[in-house]
Amino acid sequence: MEINDGEEEEFEFSRNYFLAKEIAGSSKKSTRKISDINVVDEQELRAAAANIEPKHEKEINYLVNSYKRLYPKWAFELRCGFGLLMYGFGSKKVLIEDFASTALTEYSVVVINGYLQSINLKQVIIALAEIWWDDLKTKRRTSSGVSSKVQQPFNSRSMDDLLAFLHESDVEENDSFVCVVVHNIDGPGLRDSESQQYLAQLASCSHIRIVASVDNVNAPLLWDKKMVHTQFNWCWYHIPTFAPYNVEGTFFPLILAHSSTAQSAKTAAIVLQSLTPNAQSVFKILAEYQLSHPDEEGMPVDDLYTIARERFLVSSQVTLNSHLTEFKDHELVKTRRHSDGQDCLHIPLAADALEKLLSEINQ
Amino acid sequence: MITSFAIPTFPEATGSFPMVTDATSKQLFTGLVLTKNMEFVDDLLTFEELGSYLKSQGCHVANLSSLEFSVKNGIGGCLRSILRQFLMITLDAADVSILATWYREQGSCNNPVVIIIEDLERCCGSVLSDFIIMLSEWVLKIPVVLIMGIATTLDAPKSILQSNALHHLCPCKFILGTPLERMDAIVEAVLVKQCSGFGISHKVAVFMRNYFVSQDGTITSFIRALKIACAQHFFVEPLSFMIWFLLGDDNLMLQGEKYGLSPEMMLKHALSLPSCQSIGSDKIAKQHGETIVNGLAELKKLQCQWSIVILCLYEAGKCDKVTLLDLFCEALDPDSFKSRAPDNGGGLENDSGGSRDCYKHQQYHTTRNSGFICQAVQKLRDLPAVQICKLLKGWEKYTVNVPQIHEKVKKLLSEVKSEDGKGSGQDLSTISKRHASRKHLKIEDSKAVNEKAAKLLESMVRNYMQPLECAAFHEIVCFKNVNALQTALIGDPRRRIQVDLLEVQNIIQCSCCSSSSNALLPSMHDSSILYTLAQEHGDLINLHDWYQSFKSVALRLSNKGKRGPNYSPSPKKRKATTKPAKPSEASIQARFCRAVTELQITGLLRMPSKRRPDYVQRVAFGL
Repeated sequence: MEINDGEEEEFEFSRNYFLAKEIAGSSKKSTRKISDINVVDEQELRAAAANIEPKHEKEINYLVNSYKRLYPKWAFELRCGFGLLMYGFGSKKVLIEDFASTALTEYSVVVINGYLQSINLKQVIIALAEIWWDDLKTKRRTSSGVSSKVQQPFNSRSMDDLLAFLHESDVEENDSFVCVVVHNIDGPGLRDSESQQYLAQLASCSHIRIVASVDNVNAPLLWDKKMVHTQFNWCWYHIPTFAPYNVEGTFFPLILAHSSTAQSAKTAAIVLQSLTPNAQSVFKILAEYQLSHPDEEGMPVDDLYTIARERFLVSSQVTLNSHLTEFKDHELVKTRRHSDGQDCLHIPLAADALEKLLSEINQ
Repeated sequence: MITSFAIPTFPEATGSFPMVTDATSKQLFTGLVLTKNMEFVDDLLTFEELGSYLKSQGCHVANLSSLEFSVKNGIGGCLRSILRQFLMITLDAADVSILATWYREQGSCNNPVVIIIEDLERCCGSVLSDFIIMLSEWVLKIPVVLIMGIATTLDAPKSILQSNALHHLCPCKFILGTPLERMDAIVEAVLVKQCSGFGISHKVAVFMRNYFVSQDGTITSFIRALKIACAQHFFVEPLSFMIWFLLGDDNLMLQGEKYGLSPEMMLKHALSLPSCQSIGSDKIAKQHGETIVNGLAELKKLQCQWSIVILCLYEAGKCDKVTLLDLFCEALDPDSFKSRAPDNGGGLENDSGGSRDCYKHQQYHTTRNSGFICQAVQKLRDLPAVQICKLLKGWEKYTVNVPQIHEKVKKLLSEVKSEDGKGSGQDLSTISKRHASRKHLKIEDSKAVNEKAAKLLESMVRNYMQPLECAAFHEIVCFKNVNALQTALIGDPRRRIQVDLLEVQNIIQCSCCSSSSNALLPSMHDSSILYTLAQEHGDLINLHDWYQSFKSVALRLSNKGKRGPNYSPSPKKRKATTKPAKPSEASIQARFCRAVTELQITGLLRMPSKRRPDYVQRVAFGL
């Protein structure tokens, strides 16, 4: 029975979830840190990331080529008024653009890169309106006379007007449309509900067809039934390509490059090296104090002043303060209020990072 | 409809004075449409179609949704939307006098303006009230009819609108059918009566039924599924243009050249259809050229008979709340047709068992213990005489094109009538003491009629209800690929993307990664290795551990390389073995980073937070 299947599926899901929770709870949780990995220099990492040797190139090429026989079917479905939604693991950018440039040659195609951080949909829709207007003009010139309808410039029109223009039903040509390719319609720049509403309205225009790709497993949650059934009118296609997400991943940080310890110790060292030797020495006093008193809130300002003065690093409170301001500006030092009301200085780095830092400026 | 006595002049029509003081002349005719529907998606379609129908009748129609009646946009928002729909322009200063001018310019004042508000309950009450009051002030100049969709009860306008707006409405109530009733109407018009010639197979029908009943519940999606099926069928089947023939346009039939098909190719393709081969090639070879025409004509005849029997069954089952959708699915089943075929010795009784199994198999969800066809026939046996008579009259109408059945129905009907006449005549003349026995006798009689009707229906089912899939050449008009429909209709990214990752080797079919054991091989896709490793963790994955296990998998390549070149069959791996350079630490780290990024793009991972800098979080558990 289907319903039982559904229940079973749900049960399976919850069982898996609790199983996962259990593993996390019972087996002693690993407390290893990223810093235990000997992460290579960030530049080296980036260089290596740019030169990763592709795996299975031949098979992937074969796979992607096998999708080419679907091109006529996709084009047919677009003409029938459906939207195409491609999903499956791997970047689909190259494939979809190849489809658009080989099978949709008789239509205008506009590409939206949804993986970008921000997208101005209004500009896109203005561009679409202009393209459609040009298409209309060329068509009317060939068939009947040029339309004499006075046009307000598109970029001063409202979104609703533009969408209404793209939806006008009095055009006798039914088989003509502008195709919009949206890479990652679930991407960061389009993920908000307003953008999705506009895209849905755009998709329901009679002279617009959408070919889109999704990569997130939860992408369907972006749409309600109205959008899915009456506006987007998707035909789903599962086309995993296993191609690397080169462009799509540009805006994601490399997880190891930003691992806190290595990164913050490195930046701190760079800042410190640009300061005077006296300032560096003051910082060292602070760091050594923090390492030898790991349980304290920080070093009281007065203590620091006394020690720095003893070592002839500063001559007055004013000079110390100027050093401290410099540290604080670069977020090397933070002030904390001690439990007895005294101001304490604290370096916001973990002990191991601090050690690394000290060894680096001592070189 | 509302018309005015005379056409007002322009100043009269557009000036806001003189105000009308008479309350009755400020009434707005309002249609309250009770949609009785949980799924507002279907109502959108209803109102859209109502709008285009009214337009075709000459009305000026504007559709407004609750979005326009928001406090933010105010009454100007609705006006702007109306003006945009009628005048195709957007004005910053929206004014109702512009609408009046436009209406006057349309010349004929016989056509009213219809404003359709799809979802009354979601509108802002004060804005809608203001809007109604404004329209009522102008109703003499712009004859407006309001149509409002109501999802809850008829009290809704009372609770939403202000009282001064409410008394301007002159309401009229309309009630839409339930989704199931609408569904039956659609099935009847589109699939049973064969308006397009296009048909679907049993499996497709069962899939669509289950999708409607237990998954989506909207008629919109059912129609969408049907459209996808159509598009796929017409794309895949080269002879699908012959559907024209079934629609009665005989001449178009052989014009395959128009579609790039020569008559020989068409014949070759038609004869290679599985349904055609099962008939036996000798018979076909003799007829040769005429084959397709004859085959299609036969198909058309069978379809016509089939749909008539279903309609008769539906008519009988109606009283027992048997839906046409269920009957339709059952009637398409080729297996149960074969089992009830005359030479199989099986009547309906045998058949019900067979179909029950089949339904279990096809994951039907039904609490009934026999098939719907059986249930409809059974119902016939319990019907009172009056209803039998009505039913037979209905059948008489349906069967008019099939003389064989029509004769039998007419005969039975005349028997019932004469029986009835006799009975009533006697009733009038007989005296009361014989009444009891008479009554008993009459019941006996009508039982006999019921039995006859049931037998007739059974024989109709047995002899004339041949499912589409059992006919030769049905592939030309019948869509059968349920998997294609399902994947196009319901994307399942959550499951499929995970499967992609866990079973890469099956999809790209490489020779290097397929091994009998489930061990991870270094030649696999990096993201795939990483995701498979992630399955062993709890909901939190320690990045360090994860990296180390990834690294050990990645380094396995070089160890294996030392074992000997024969071990790895693929050229790439051979290359790796001849150059057994261990991947550098940097490259492994870079591959790890990229794989994590890719998993992040798929949304299967949540990145480390400030609170848990050394862990990523799994999002999906199980497929």
